[in-house]
Amino acid sequence: MTTTEELDLISRVRGEVLSRKELTGENLFLGWGYPTAIVLLLEFAALLIWNEDWCSWLWVGIPLIGAPLMIYFLNEDYERTHSRTLEQNVILMMWIFIGFASFVGGTAMGFAGVFPSCYCAYQGLLMGMGCFMTGIILHFRPKTICGIIASALSAIPLFLQGDLWPWQLLVASLIAVVALIIPGHLFRSYVRRRNNS
Amino acid sequence: MSSFKFPVINPVLHGELRLKIMVALDSLNDADFMYLCQITDSTRGNLSAQIAMLKDAGYINVSKSGLGRFSRTTCSITARGREALSAYEEGLRKMFAQEVPAQEERTIINL
Repeated sequence: MTTTEELDLISRVRGEVLSRKELTGENLFLGWGYPTAIVLLLEFAALLIWNEDWCSWLWVGIPLIGAPLMIYFLNEDYERTHSRTLEQNVILMMWIFIGFASFVGGTAMGFAGVFPSCYCAYQGLLMGMGCFMTGIILHFRPKTICGIIASALSAIPLFLQGDLWPWQLLVASLIAVVALIIPGHLFRSYVRRRNNS
Repeated sequence: MSSFKFPVINPVLHGELRLKIMVALDSLNDADFMYLCQITDSTRGNLSAQIAMLKDAGYINVSKSGLGRFSRTTCSITARGREALSAYEEGLRKMFAQEVPAQEERTIINL
């Protein structure tokens, strides 16, 4: 090959990779959003009905349901595209870290006895931040806006202390709807429209 | 006489298929065997041989996941590979920049 042919080949392959790029991850948000919102609602109901210590550990159900769903959706995405871009990897690593921080934080707060006062604000802020940064990376404005709203809502649980603490779970569930479910559905329809066009 | 020295060509990257694999992986985080087969338009056997060569040079990482029918071979570029590709591309550009004025000069003389 001559120099010109080699340079031409490089730009041709780069162009082809770019043209094959597909948006993915449309189900990941919903895969985390629905379990989070539903488990927190169940925890809220359990606390209202039984008001026992074990009820406040029900949140462990979130990673137990969300993590297998995430692995399933990631595999499904990879089956479709057979590749992962740098942006997709950054977003994935960020959400894995958020999930890890949420799990470790929740466990530590549970053992330290401060779970009722801090956890919902902590988890809400993590979800809001993740949603905001994902929106910025993907240039998807609805996600960015939902992330800002969710981060602002995460301050509310701090004002619901003492006997009111179970209501924090209701607010945290609302934050999951704002940070994960609404942008998840919007992103899903956007991805399907864009990949079909 | 021109003092231009031609850059040393990296023999590992100076192959059409290997260069295609490296450029594709440079634009992505990782890609599986199927993707590389499609983008390079090559046969499985040939692709395997070239991937092994790039792996031996330390330019790509190859990982296998899953079992049996469901196994997947995933490749990603290493920092060393990225550096080598960037140096190779820079060398090509330098050579191209040297070639073009020489050709233009020849054209003017011919006129």
